[in-house]
Amino acid sequence: MNDNEKEEASNLKEEFEWVLREEVHAILHQLHTVLVECAHRFPVPLYGNEGQKQDKFILTSQPEQLKCIVTLTGDSITHADISFKVLRQMHTTCKTSINQDGPWKLQQIQDAANHLQQAIGYIDNVDKNYVFRSSEEVLHIIQCLIGSLQRARTALVLPKKKAIDELMKSRNMKALSPNLPEDLAISFYLQSHKLIFVAYHLSSNHGTMRIDSCQADCAVPWLSDVLFMLTAALHMCQQLKDKLCVFSQYKDFTVGSRSASTILN
Amino acid sequence: MPGTNLIVPVVLWGKHAPTHCISSVYLSRDQKTLVTGCYDGQICLWQVNPDSLKMTPRCLLVGHTAPVTCLSRASIVQDNNFIVSSSEAGEMCTWDLVDGKCRESVKLTQVHTNIQAYHMCNSEDLRLFCNGYYAEILIMDPFSLEILFSLSSKMNPDWISALHVLRPSSRRDDVVLAISITGTVKVWSLLGHENKQSEPIYENESKQIRCLNALSLNCCAYNQRTVLIVCAKYCQIYDAGDFSVLCSIQAPSGERWMSGDFLAPDRVLVWSTEGKGYLYKLPANSVPDHKGFHGPTVEHDSPVLYGILAHPDNKLLSCPPAMRFILTSVGGKQRRLLLRGDSAGVVLLWNVDDAAMPVPNKVMSRAPIVTTSLEMAWAEMNPSPVGILDQLSHPDEPEIKLTASIYLLAANRLVVGREDGSIVIVNATHTVQLQLLHGSHQQLDDWPPHQLLLGHNGRVNCLLYPHHVHQRYDKSHLVSGGIDFAVCLWDLFSGALLHRFCVHAGEITQLIVPPHNCSPRIQKCICAVASDHSVTLLSLTERKCVTLASRHLFPVVTIKWRPADDFMVVGCSDGTVYVWQMETGHLDRVLHGMIAEEVLAACDETIADELGGSLSTGTDLQGIANPAVHFFRGLRHRNLTAMRAATQRGLAALHASERGSSAGPLAEPARARPPPLTIQGFRSNPADPESHILFFDIEGLIVELLSEEYSAMSPASLEAAGLITSEYMKVAALTQSASPDAAKKISGILAKMKEGAENMQTKIQAKAEQIKNQLDSKVVTAVHSIKTWDRSHESHHPHKGIRITPNSVEIYEQPNDFLIYKNMNHAHAHRKSKRSDVNDEERLQILADHLRELWDKLQRDWQFY
Repeated sequence: MNDNEKEEASNLKEEFEWVLREEVHAILHQLHTVLVECAHRFPVPLYGNEGQKQDKFILTSQPEQLKCIVTLTGDSITHADISFKVLRQMHTTCKTSINQDGPWKLQQIQDAANHLQQAIGYIDNVDKNYVFRSSEEVLHIIQCLIGSLQRARTALVLPKKKAIDELMKSRNMKALSPNLPEDLAISFYLQSHKLIFVAYHLSSNHGTMRIDSCQADCAVPWLSDVLFMLTAALHMCQQLKDKLCVFSQYKDFTVGSRSASTILN
Repeated sequence: MPGTNLIVPVVLWGKHAPTHCISSVYLSRDQKTLVTGCYDGQICLWQVNPDSLKMTPRCLLVGHTAPVTCLSRASIVQDNNFIVSSSEAGEMCTWDLVDGKCRESVKLTQVHTNIQAYHMCNSEDLRLFCNGYYAEILIMDPFSLEILFSLSSKMNPDWISALHVLRPSSRRDDVVLAISITGTVKVWSLLGHENKQSEPIYENESKQIRCLNALSLNCCAYNQRTVLIVCAKYCQIYDAGDFSVLCSIQAPSGERWMSGDFLAPDRVLVWSTEGKGYLYKLPANSVPDHKGFHGPTVEHDSPVLYGILAHPDNKLLSCPPAMRFILTSVGGKQRRLLLRGDSAGVVLLWNVDDAAMPVPNKVMSRAPIVTTSLEMAWAEMNPSPVGILDQLSHPDEPEIKLTASIYLLAANRLVVGREDGSIVIVNATHTVQLQLLHGSHQQLDDWPPHQLLLGHNGRVNCLLYPHHVHQRYDKSHLVSGGIDFAVCLWDLFSGALLHRFCVHAGEITQLIVPPHNCSPRIQKCICAVASDHSVTLLSLTERKCVTLASRHLFPVVTIKWRPADDFMVVGCSDGTVYVWQMETGHLDRVLHGMIAEEVLAACDETIADELGGSLSTGTDLQGIANPAVHFFRGLRHRNLTAMRAATQRGLAALHASERGSSAGPLAEPARARPPPLTIQGFRSNPADPESHILFFDIEGLIVELLSEEYSAMSPASLEAAGLITSEYMKVAALTQSASPDAAKKISGILAKMKEGAENMQTKIQAKAEQIKNQLDSKVVTAVHSIKTWDRSHESHHPHKGIRITPNSVEIYEQPNDFLIYKNMNHAHAHRKSKRSDVNDEERLQILADHLRELWDKLQRDWQFY
């Protein structure tokens, strides 16, 4: 190894130590700020964010197929007036409502909030004065963080697919008043920054089941903030990970090994 | 490689043990098997001596794509050899511990964080009680991996963070005790007749307590009156009657609790993230038999620490170790152990009963009774586990790690990229022979000869031989990608560096071949992926970059193609999808969320359509073609080899047709003969050097050996053996009826072959020695692998390997029976093979006998020369 390479290696090591000593903590602190801010946008009690926020949304679809006025309290729809025209029977309008006693829970919000809480927990577990001694340690934390943030984001962006009979049987459906006829079902879910309402009509066509649906959506302001911050946090994690991976080709680097390994080289 | 062929895998591990950062541990009740799951998704099986507790790694199960979070037994039967594993990606597998096969696998949307196996009343075997990132408790069948039913909550439904199932002594039903992450304790009672169709099962009772994010919950097994709940910062004892706190234990400074359990009504064991076990004696108010039970906390009567289970060599861990408290019974004797597996792959075992008796005012520290790791197992080996290129490393120089490899089937060459940037090309059979067999060749210097390609500056990350994937590529082109950001194009035959593509701004991580129906320009390209998240299409003929796709913010996870639209679809780890025009390098669109998923899925559909189309036409062709034509074609391509195989099959068919069976087997010789040997690189962690798996196809091997036997025989001996006259006539009879034309051609070719063989005879004499070597090696390798494989079926067999030389058989210690099974996707194939009437073992026996016979015969023949 010639002098230039030696110098480069020793500079890299110094840089690596600096990253572990200063940069990792700084980035974790930044991440913490972003994630706590994100947690505060959630309408549910989460990480020092008290109280349940309430929002009102109106979902309609053209042409006047369905209309729905929704009150979202925390992670549940506590009140909703729903009316929709049954498909292919244009003159019958179906009306139902959700009330306080049987709220419609949006499990996606709770899942996302829990994953986020877990992510903040990973950062909280790191003592501010802790001295990282290897990149593996940091990479492990980052990997856990990325996992949690990814799951939080996915929970909101990709709603879980449910079978129609599972939906029919669900507690949410049973809490509607008045109950819907056997061949009708409704569903609320989140997809990205939108709250979506779908009405299904089941009909049997020569023995095969046929499902018609129509849907309406509306934007939920706090959701777009939350998604933005989750994405930003994910990006920060990824950048820190990439940064550390640059040093991984000098795998023997650990704090304190510098003098020893320079001799070896 | 599913199918009817018997394939024997042999692993050449190399000098370095695979990285095994343990994420979960399990020890079977009979203390015979230890199972460790790791963050990279592999599961390692260790054979444990129940008396000495000595652990020997036996098998590596490959299948999970994410960290293994839970391991559980599958049956109440003591010596039942099945376990269930679950990963962070929602995959669940049931593994057969004897042969390492995956019996069942499923991917759920619900991800478990904890599984308790429990024998419910009214059920024949165990049920898995799972909780995780979802608001219910799922009860699953360990063998079918079906969700049998689930438990829901009415009060504050939220994720369940810990649960414990038990049967109260006075009752006949089972009770599930659980705590949600927001601290609501819930109780369900189960009668045993619950099923999926029944109404949602809600908790019977629930109570909010001040305990957030509990990690574990355990009811005291001795009195069922107290409950231990462990949180990161403290653990608490509760009265199960009214869930009031009796006492609390703070975590030692700088440590967090992970879990714990009761040792006795008045003693608990809790363990921390530092991997230490702490033994506490509980105060009087927390012990049910005591008169002060449930009383107020008395001063000077707090939990007393009386023992620590620690590891004297406190090495730095990169993550908290996996730990488990284990109750075992061997020969009626109960044993209580604390098991730990850490990030360095070290397994520690403490005997908890050693420290069972509290000594007043004294904290006893206990060292583990067993310490082991893959690395230690590797170090114990003498000679150390062989690597595929050991001949190139010198004992006094640091070893150069192998980092990438591909096997060129047609040329029987192994191409290996190394850490120092060199690429070694070597004859695969020779190098395998060198590592596995004793013989004079091991004394030779610089044998086998190898070719060295020098061009990369630093580690070679990936290799690609495009011609293998599709014939449109030049036969001589070899592509490599390295840590130096460069993609190199090599002439395989001359060893010249044809071009160096320096387009990426990060180390090259992957090289892929675009599909064959792309535009003509793209067809000449290969696709490279780098760690700066960029993707390029590099034209091998133009020697330049056609498209640079480098806007991705996150690592590239998948690349899919829509050749008809000239689109390359790049999926990133954050779920974003980038659609690029291949010819112009124009970013067509960026997609997120649902649409992104749908676009990726749509790419698969078009491919499936094409595949389906080509497959169906393929089968049609086979159906139409005359079996005799196939036979002839096989004959032309493979000369005497196929003839021998075909003769045997034809005879079998003749016999079979007498019994009224169809002429199906005749088509078989034309089927692409499986290669007798394929080599695949393997690593458990991206940072590891590569190990290599040799797949010996026994049928392919026998065909190959037979062909060599034939080519070595003189026409005279062919006649003498009666092979030409009798069997040839039968073949002729066989083909004549179907196609007289073909028969003529066959006899023509035969005559030619005979002539050729006579010419060869003179040369054979000279080459006899050399050929003998080769033949020896092949037979021996086959026998060797059969033995190795065979032994993997007898789990209690000592850890030995067998080495056979032409003159002697010796047994030596070696780790090659530490086998790998890539099984996740083969569960189906496995089930299929079970149905076939001849099972693997019998087949193996037949084949082994066949090989032995062949071996004897060969030796006789050599004496003849």
